Amino acid sequence: MISTDPWVWLSALLTLAIFSMLLGDNKFFRWAEATYTATVIGHSVVTGLLTLKDRFYPLYTGQKPILIIPLILGITSLFVVWRRYAWVSTVAMALMIGVGTGISIRTLMATDVVGNVRAVISETAKVLEGSPATRLGYFIRIVFTICALLYFLFILVPKEGPGGKFFNYIATIGKYALIVYMGIAIGNTIQQFVGTATVAIDRLISTWLGLS
Amino acid sequence: MSTTLAYIRAYIGRIVVVVCCLGILAGYYFTSPTVGGVSDELYTWNMCISSFTLFVGLITIFSRYGRSIINRDTNWPFHLYCLVLIIIWIPFGFHYGIYADLYQTAYLSTKITLHIAILGLLIFFMTSALYRTFRIRSLRTAVLTFLAVVMIFLNAPYLRSYFPTAGDIAYWLLNNPQMSGARAMVLCGGIGGIILGIRILLGHEKGALRVTGGM
Amino acid sequence: MRLPELKSEYIWAVMMIFFLIPAIHPIGLPFPMDPVTYEVYNIIESLPEGSIVVMGGGGVFAFDLESSAGMIAMIKQMARKGLRLVTCPVWTEAPQFHKYVIDAARVDKDKYGGPWEYGVDYVLLPYMPGGDMVVFDSFLKDVHATVSVDLAGTPIDELPLMQDLHDYHDIALWICPHWGFVSVIRIVAAQYGITCISPAQSTAYAFFSPFMEAYPGKVYMLNGYVGGAQYEALVGIKGLGHKVMDSYAFASTLIVLFIVLGNITMLSRMGGEEE
Repeated sequence: MISTDPWVWLSALLTLAIFSMLLGDNKFFRWAEATYTATVIGHSVVTGLLTLKDRFYPLYTGQKPILIIPLILGITSLFVVWRRYAWVSTVAMALMIGVGTGISIRTLMATDVVGNVRAVISETAKVLEGSPATRLGYFIRIVFTICALLYFLFILVPKEGPGGKFFNYIATIGKYALIVYMGIAIGNTIQQFVGTATVAIDRLISTWLGLS
Repeated sequence: MSTTLAYIRAYIGRIVVVVCCLGILAGYYFTSPTVGGVSDELYTWNMCISSFTLFVGLITIFSRYGRSIINRDTNWPFHLYCLVLIIIWIPFGFHYGIYADLYQTAYLSTKITLHIAILGLLIFFMTSALYRTFRIRSLRTAVLTFLAVVMIFLNAPYLRSYFPTAGDIAYWLLNNPQMSGARAMVLCGGIGGIILGIRILLGHEKGALRVTGGM
Repeated sequence: MRLPELKSEYIWAVMMIFFLIPAIHPIGLPFPMDPVTYEVYNIIESLPEGSIVVMGGGGVFAFDLESSAGMIAMIKQMARKGLRLVTCPVWTEAPQFHKYVIDAARVDKDKYGGPWEYGVDYVLLPYMPGGDMVVFDSFLKDVHATVSVDLAGTPIDELPLMQDLHDYHDIALWICPHWGFVSVIRIVAAQYGITCISPAQSTAYAFFSPFMEAYPGKVYMLNGYVGGAQYEALVGIKGLGHKVMDSYAFASTLIVLFIVLGNITMLSRMGGEEE
């Protein structure tokens, strides 16, 4: 039967408001959009207030008085929204950028670069192992990865000379490797958006109207 | 005098970036407890300062929507409604706390429902976009279209239940040719990220500090 | 014969009908299992009773909903096995998502009569700001220095479960039902060597699958709703994954039909132009 829960009714109306966009821009959709903006900002502020209470608890209790420095820096970081006074937030922003850069350099090198290069090298040794499908798979991985890398790092590809034509073929294989990647990724990604539409429509049909 | 101040400001920003970055790296590569302590303190300070970034959206929305309401711009009633709802939401959330069932229900029924509906709407736009753009005019579009269609079919339960090999083929495609392209993107992204980090350390990258006038 | 270009509104109307059919009359199409789903299931099954599992990461709730299908099933399995769970949210919506999946799994003793007692078997931690990788590194080095209270504001020293969790040595497994799984891999798996599992979104699977090969035996991912539905079947529940499989059966056919129709339309117009 149709739900009597006011929250279910509210969520149903909001869902219908969003789907009304299929009929064109309208005030119903604008209302839903404003509600979305308000709840996002409201939740961020509520989370922020509670997080500040937790983060600076050692400062309030006197356990860690040095936290007064990040408290001051945090307040100065808010000045970034005013163009005229954005310079006040320089040190706070610089600290966050520095910490983020430090950890990014280390992890990107170790995981993204070295980890994947190691994987390619180890797969080279496995090309002659396993079933034909597995061997073909390893072979494709090595060839496609190297060709796609060469396509990306285009500055290394000589355009003229005896090697130019060869490198152009390699780059073309790399281009098609990336097209293959995108095609399969797009096909796989469809299920994500089908799922979210299913949840939204199911909320209307089952939870609100009780038809299922 | 102002030129000198700008000069000092720029270099303070760069020095802080370099010191913090090296502090984090040193904390990982050296086993000294002192260096580890500095790195841990930097983490704590970073987390404390980051808590304030959650209020930037509030300031921005109030300044923009406030101006729009005062000037009676298009959609100003919706902007007013938005600001009023924010003012109601904040004490409601702070009073009950985000752990409370009531807050969770309110949040799921509004923001999450809206976000799911917005994302769910995309499948409709994607389908009409796929109808118009996935047209086989060349070898490239043929490869793209064919593989996308094959992958959509291979994930379907009706195919998998009658032809169990479909699942194996789907995983083979995902873990071999698709993964290779993703790996190339990850490698290049990683190299780009490292270069960006080095440029930031050397002061060549303006980035966020340009807004502050720190670089 | 030149076929006319279909208006988008007609396409949307047909799509909507095809979404409404399985919503009103669920079909319950069967589907086989994939080997990776069994692997992930066995990893959790093999953990000794009392092991601490961390559910952590950062992402947007609406995107992470795809992961909830597998995550809810995993929580039910963990509760049955007597494992313990601590959350580590690093984005603002993650605490709400963690609370949602635990409530949806109906494992809480006080609320639903389930096997888990709050504070003893599971703990919800609050949002930890500062960036994913920074928080994970800090959390794994010293949990109690990184966070001092739980989501309700109770000091974690008063929670029995948190007495047993101090650093990465005490964590048996890390599960990330979020988009930010790559940050988990970079720190948790790569640096600290903890096995990481993700009931990943299909988009995330496409982007992050290289890391499964870079760290074999340490990183596992399920593929979106398909993987989530399979995991639900293994655990013995019928949830969101099953529901989406029904819709996907219709939607996938329709999308492919429209692509084929688009190409036929193009060919008919090309033929007409030649004439």
